[in-house]
Amino acid sequence: MGQFLQFAINGLMSGAIYALIAVGIVSVFKATKVVNFAHGYVIMVGAYFYYTFAVLIPGAEWAPAWLASWQPGWLMEMREGLPMFSPMGAVLDWVQNLPRILFGLAGAVLANAALGLLIERTLMRPLMGQSVFAMIMITVGLISILAGAAQLVWTADADFVPHIAPNAPVRFEMFGTTIFLFGADIVNMIVALLIFGAIVAMVRFTKSGVAIRATAEDQSTAYSMGISVPKVFSRAWMLAAATGAIAGAILATRNGISPSLGLFGFSVLAIVLMGGLDSYVGVFIAALAVGVLEAMTQWQLGGDWAEIVPYVAVLVVILIRPHGLFGQKEVERI
Amino acid sequence: MTLTRRSFLATGAAASAAIGTPMILRAQPSEYVFGSSLPMTGPFATAGQLVAPALKMFEDLANEDGGIGGVPIRTTAEDSGYIPQNALANYQRALATEPNLVYYYGDSTGFMKLVAPELRGENARLMGSTSFASELAKPEENPYQYLAGPSYEDQFDILLESIANQGGSTVAFIYSNTEFGRDPLESGRAKAEELGIEVVLEESTKAQGADIPTHVTKLAQSNAEYCILQGYVTGVWPQLIGGARQFGLPTKFMGTFWGMEKLIADRVTAEAGPFLDGYLGVMPYRYSYDNDNAPRYARYAEYQKKNFAGTPLENYMPTWGLQSLCAMELGLMALRQVHEEGKELTADNAAEALASIQNWESGGFFGVPVSMQGNKIGTGRVYQYSAETNLFTPASDWFTV
Amino acid sequence: MITGNLKASYAADERVFDNRNKWAFFAASLAVLAGMAGFANDYVILVACQMGILLIAVVGVNVVTGYTGLISLGHAAFVAVGAYTVAIFHAGFAGVIPDGLMALIAIPVAVAVSALVGIIVGLPSLRVKGLYLAVATLSANFIVIFLIEQEAFAHWTGGMVGINTPAPDFFGWELDTKREMFVLIAALGVLTLLAVQNLFRTRVGRAFIAIRDRDYSAEIMGISLLRYKLTSFAISAALCGLSGALFAYFYARILPEQFELALSLELVAAMIVGGMGRTMGPVFGVIVIVMVPEVIKSLFGVATGGEASMAQLLAPLQDIAFGLLIVLFLLFEPLGLNHMADRALRAMNRWPFAR
Repeated sequence: MGQFLQFAINGLMSGAIYALIAVGIVSVFKATKVVNFAHGYVIMVGAYFYYTFAVLIPGAEWAPAWLASWQPGWLMEMREGLPMFSPMGAVLDWVQNLPRILFGLAGAVLANAALGLLIERTLMRPLMGQSVFAMIMITVGLISILAGAAQLVWTADADFVPHIAPNAPVRFEMFGTTIFLFGADIVNMIVALLIFGAIVAMVRFTKSGVAIRATAEDQSTAYSMGISVPKVFSRAWMLAAATGAIAGAILATRNGISPSLGLFGFSVLAIVLMGGLDSYVGVFIAALAVGVLEAMTQWQLGGDWAEIVPYVAVLVVILIRPHGLFGQKEVERI
Repeated sequence: MTLTRRSFLATGAAASAAIGTPMILRAQPSEYVFGSSLPMTGPFATAGQLVAPALKMFEDLANEDGGIGGVPIRTTAEDSGYIPQNALANYQRALATEPNLVYYYGDSTGFMKLVAPELRGENARLMGSTSFASELAKPEENPYQYLAGPSYEDQFDILLESIANQGGSTVAFIYSNTEFGRDPLESGRAKAEELGIEVVLEESTKAQGADIPTHVTKLAQSNAEYCILQGYVTGVWPQLIGGARQFGLPTKFMGTFWGMEKLIADRVTAEAGPFLDGYLGVMPYRYSYDNDNAPRYARYAEYQKKNFAGTPLENYMPTWGLQSLCAMELGLMALRQVHEEGKELTADNAAEALASIQNWESGGFFGVPVSMQGNKIGTGRVYQYSAETNLFTPASDWFTV
Repeated sequence: MITGNLKASYAADERVFDNRNKWAFFAASLAVLAGMAGFANDYVILVACQMGILLIAVVGVNVVTGYTGLISLGHAAFVAVGAYTVAIFHAGFAGVIPDGLMALIAIPVAVAVSALVGIIVGLPSLRVKGLYLAVATLSANFIVIFLIEQEAFAHWTGGMVGINTPAPDFFGWELDTKREMFVLIAALGVLTLLAVQNLFRTRVGRAFIAIRDRDYSAEIMGISLLRYKLTSFAISAALCGLSGALFAYFYARILPEQFELALSLELVAAMIVGGMGRTMGPVFGVIVIVMVPEVIKSLFGVATGGEASMAQLLAPLQDIAFGLLIVLFLLFEPLGLNHMADRALRAMNRWPFAR
């Protein structure tokens, strides 16, 4: 039972990150009716931006020293005599890294939002009103372009990035087993959930959110009601890319940075379809469910089985409910 | 081994050809080509990008010594992205476009296995690789492929034996879900059973971007005293060890050749703290900073200082580069021997010459004279990393399995 | 100058080649292929074989996506099934079936098994279409590769480390060189193109096109969606299976990772670049998709002078070119190279009256 709980919590934590990735795909779909197959690669680029702003720039010679490692007097005093790998030490390490973490996150979000805007302007806008197939395949082409560009710029090096939260271990007893959790993972989960919640709230309550929903309902009606549909498009892409940057940064801290981060996009795509493309609630549930299922599979069957969990899950769900758990049924005219 | 002797031999060969012995059948080509496929992009890009310049160095130094019988050699390096199929395409392209291809250097376990059945007749070349997969050291099946060190199975055996010597009783195998990661598992299991060590966890992970928290949790729950990591190069293993240390796990981590690079260990130490302190692993070669009594290493160092100034290679040759250099020096030695015997540089002759290498004074790579046995050199020793000095230092004597 | 095709009867309308220029083109192509088999150098033969194998699979994708309008991003799975069927069949029936007949039986078996798997993978197409189908087939691709890699089946499939494959043998003529394989691949490639061209003048082919143009309308007109969608999947999977069988014969060993998503995307990309729903489309597409990386490689080699430290930039450039090909064709010429060729031919034909 304790073991079960351990893996359930692990699953929920990765599920929350899936949800954060998924929110990008759903937002773009709601506004533009394009399903972004390349979202995983947008995230990968976001992760590399985080790496650039949190590791490469602070490491450069011309960067101020406090950016790479902030060492005020009180911090140095507190560090004295601390044993290695103590929870307090982890927190202090984090404080030391704080300037570059914040710089990295801010840089990654801005740079990636610019990338989102660029993609929307150059590739998506000319395709307004084209077939589903053309839209899907454009994003598939984008996969290769982004992957190639990232390798060209960052030479595909696998590297390390600072955790966005103190990575102190958390340990407690439950049902007679010790449960281990990483501090950073808990914070990551909270960050992911907060951002997810904020976006859902934004789409529900703010003016631009209403514009997105109106566009989702019917583009030409929205246009005639005075909503600037192209603006909605670019906002949705920027939003997706910006959240993607944070998701990428989190993934990079958990798993190390590498071009293979892009592959997460495919499993999250499966999750999004499972939840039902245009439903935030459905996607949220699907993300957590897949996260937990993956963790359980990992526990019982081993790592290689966990890789196909999202794909099996989406096939089963699609066969039973063709539009996902909470998706709207499409009405087609003949 | 001087120029004069070689040129003397060459003159001798020419003279004997002149009096009518058909010793050299083919006309002397203007160059010999040493082709290679390296993972310059993809998951192992770091390694491939550092090996490429080492090949250039190998070419220059070999040509200083007169190439093969006075004919200069040329190395080529193509990118495979660590995709076996791309490497195979590179090899097939090299076969079709380079008439003087005498040697090929492959870059992954997958490629070497993929290409093995293609190496027949006209399509065969002597072939070294970055892989230490056990299957490649089977002369009866793959006469043209060889290892410039012990196989992963040997390395596992060595680690398991050192665990048994230290009185360990439980071990966990964590490996990447690739041919490279899976290669020594079966024999490792058998060896552990033979030594009375219980394998408490066998965990497969992705080669890149693995779900670290879950893997560490499983390791924590397995309560293994030792953990052997296999199938990683730059990613995953440092994060795993870092995670385990942060959890406060007492598990001792061990690695095989590809997880033993100082550059990566240093990078981890700089970025994340002294997690890797005490990390143990098998390494067939002497690290390049361990250059007492190593004329070859001294020569490399001189070249590196002059030609690689301002790059990571200026003062240090990564183990990945050493492996490639060692493999290619062996290949070159075999080909020179074939030439000196006045035979044609075919793969069969080269493989035969390679297998005859005995008690080689490597001038650096190995601490003891080594021999080719069953297309591999089963020599190595255990090293330990210290986060304070940033060096891997020997933790055992040289031994040959 | 041809201004149109005179068709005086329905039989004439239904001909595979409806004018003499097409006949001439066909004959010329055969002559070129025969010439290549005799005189081309090893490198050309190597590339041509790769193209031929890819071509047959792309024709398969074209049947299901180009003609029937069902998006599939998982066709590499069928290529895998074809390739592994051949390898397993050879191993399983070694000694039972004489060597000289083995390939003659193994190839049809591989095609049939792939068709069967195609029907199973095609089942979701009855419930979903468009994007959902794309993800369903993509998932199927992941799952098939996963199953092949499983240790439990490693006895047959070789698992992750792959499996050695035999050279085909027809009545004692063993095709153990690339040149001999080229003859087989070229022959089967031409046959496949003819068969598909023929398919689309039959009832089945017209049903496919009706489904592509509007599935509900097609159903109302009495076309059974169940039957024809599955037929389409079966035919296209069968062609991919044939391609897989040739793949297995061409290479001496196959690995599961050769049939992953990347191959599926390559197949679809070749179809888009060449022209969807056109017989010659896959031919153009495959030539471009295979040649562009090769051309970039040689240009790059000239530009950098073979500098080893630059070689790491090549693969990213090839990746970007691949992506750009897909994107640019979809943006500027969604009907593909085939359409560009049509326009060029028409302009030549009617010059100076049309451009």
